[in-house]
Amino acid sequence: MEKIRDDIIDFLKGQSFMDSNTQFADNESLTKAGIIDSIGLLELLDHISESYSIEIPEDMLTPDNLDSLQGITNLILKLKYERS
Amino acid sequence: MRIDSFVAKNANENPHQIALEEGEKTISYSCLDNDIDRIASSMAEFGNCRFAVLAESGIQYIKMLMAVYRSDNTAIPLPIELATFNMERILDTARINNIIVTEAQYSRFGEAFFKRFETVIVVSDDDSVNTLCKRVIEEYNNPNLRLVLYTSGTTGTPKGVMLSDRNLIANAASIIEILGITPADKAALVISPHHAFGNSIINSHLMAGGCISIVSMNFMGLIFSMMRSGISMFYGVPSTYRLLLRYPEKFKDAFRNVRLAATAGGAIDDIIVKNLKDSNPDIRVMPMYGQTEATARLAYLPSEDVEEFVDTIGKAIPGVILDVFDANNCSAEPNITGELVARGDNIMLGYLDDEIATERKIINGWMYTGDLAKKLPNGYFKLLGRKDDLIKIGDHRVNPRELEKYIESNNDVSGVFVVPVSHELLGNAISLMVIPNHDMDATCISSFCRKNLPGYLHPLEVLFIDHLPLSENGKISNRSIIEGYHNVKNSM
Repeated sequence: MEKIRDDIIDFLKGQSFMDSNTQFADNESLTKAGIIDSIGLLELLDHISESYSIEIPEDMLTPDNLDSLQGITNLILKLKYERS
Repeated sequence: MRIDSFVAKNANENPHQIALEEGEKTISYSCLDNDIDRIASSMAEFGNCRFAVLAESGIQYIKMLMAVYRSDNTAIPLPIELATFNMERILDTARINNIIVTEAQYSRFGEAFFKRFETVIVVSDDDSVNTLCKRVIEEYNNPNLRLVLYTSGTTGTPKGVMLSDRNLIANAASIIEILGITPADKAALVISPHHAFGNSIINSHLMAGGCISIVSMNFMGLIFSMMRSGISMFYGVPSTYRLLLRYPEKFKDAFRNVRLAATAGGAIDDIIVKNLKDSNPDIRVMPMYGQTEATARLAYLPSEDVEEFVDTIGKAIPGVILDVFDANNCSAEPNITGELVARGDNIMLGYLDDEIATERKIINGWMYTGDLAKKLPNGYFKLLGRKDDLIKIGDHRVNPRELEKYIESNNDVSGVFVVPVSHELLGNAISLMVIPNHDMDATCISSFCRKNLPGYLHPLEVLFIDHLPLSENGKISNRSIIEGYHNVKNSM
């Protein structure tokens, strides 16, 4: 779980969505904080799909699943777990 | 009359009719009207003063906007996609003393950001209004000024388009007529409400007494579930439709019961039309054309002509006259290329605090669109590109020369060139060619762009070059830059 969260943070920092020294709470909203917008979200979705070899069903493209580090981590775990 | 008077009128005639929806939240005309009154009372001591409106898309934004109107002040919606310093530039240029802001945006920008204002009004999620500070400073604005919309605040000097009640009402009435909007319609608002297109959806549907369902484009799952809630009219820029088309099955399902799909902000293509018709053979597809300087709408293509004339902008909306002028400012014959000009009650009062730019844009009552066009024998108009070098990215008009200057002056480089490249969703995107001053890493530039520019301006690639991409006559233009880019790519 920590590993997934760290990977997402690495991606956000690596792609300069976040500064390397940004501290961000797990339940904070990425869109409301201005870290990511609709175009940035597409990049994030591609990254998740590729890195974890998962397809995210359209119905799961919601703020609960994608707008916070917590939500994204849970989403990945859930999809990986359901698949195996 | 003001736009908010129509909310009051509908609240009177049809108080329980739902005006706005946002996820699980709904609000009737009568409640909306009351909330507008309550928020407006916090601005009652002001009159004809400029109020920045800082709110994410949603019911709150519409309430706050209408409250500024109702208190007889001028609303200046801040496009929230902008980085803080861009926003500050708008605030400095437009000399805005007062702001009304949602709690969410207040905490995002932080207390220090709001120190610049004399009056700060915070509207919280439960609709309580909290005036943090208040000082009424008299302003001498155009007495007809009601709304200022920014066309481009991304780089360079942002231009504020001044609109009057008359502009807003005239354009909303024309839109109601061409789209046949009724109180039974439920419209989807998925694009930004802070710009002309989104604003026109709000005005026309509230005026018609119908319902608007609001969702942001961030999360597709929310859009698809909203579409299942009985949306009858959908509005999007071409990239909105392309984004939804990434999920073809859901797309088909989403538009099954939509009676009208309207587009604006860029040319629509056959693929979008075909997919819409496939999901619902009875759907009316209506491409529209306009500019912020014309409040929103100038022309539309009647849906029966979509297949045959999809490469045109159709004809003027009711109340607008369109023409093509030659270099001598005379009406050109059909099939002769000139500049598209327009007149009507929807044409702006002018640019905010910029008479020179206004005089260049509106001459003898005609607004010069900057779009090259020709009249077709059937009276329709066909666009043939821009007179200037502006690039259309998504629904944004971007000035590449301003963007270049901005990146140049904030990085250790001696030249930056913006290359328009095609993008599957946005139509166009940009790549950069950069002449560095010394050895540097391309990620510095790309990271600078990420931090300081909205997502649609993030460069697809950053290429280092060592000489200027000049044309044969020694000039720099989009054309010479694109040529230079191809040369670099070919030699890679």
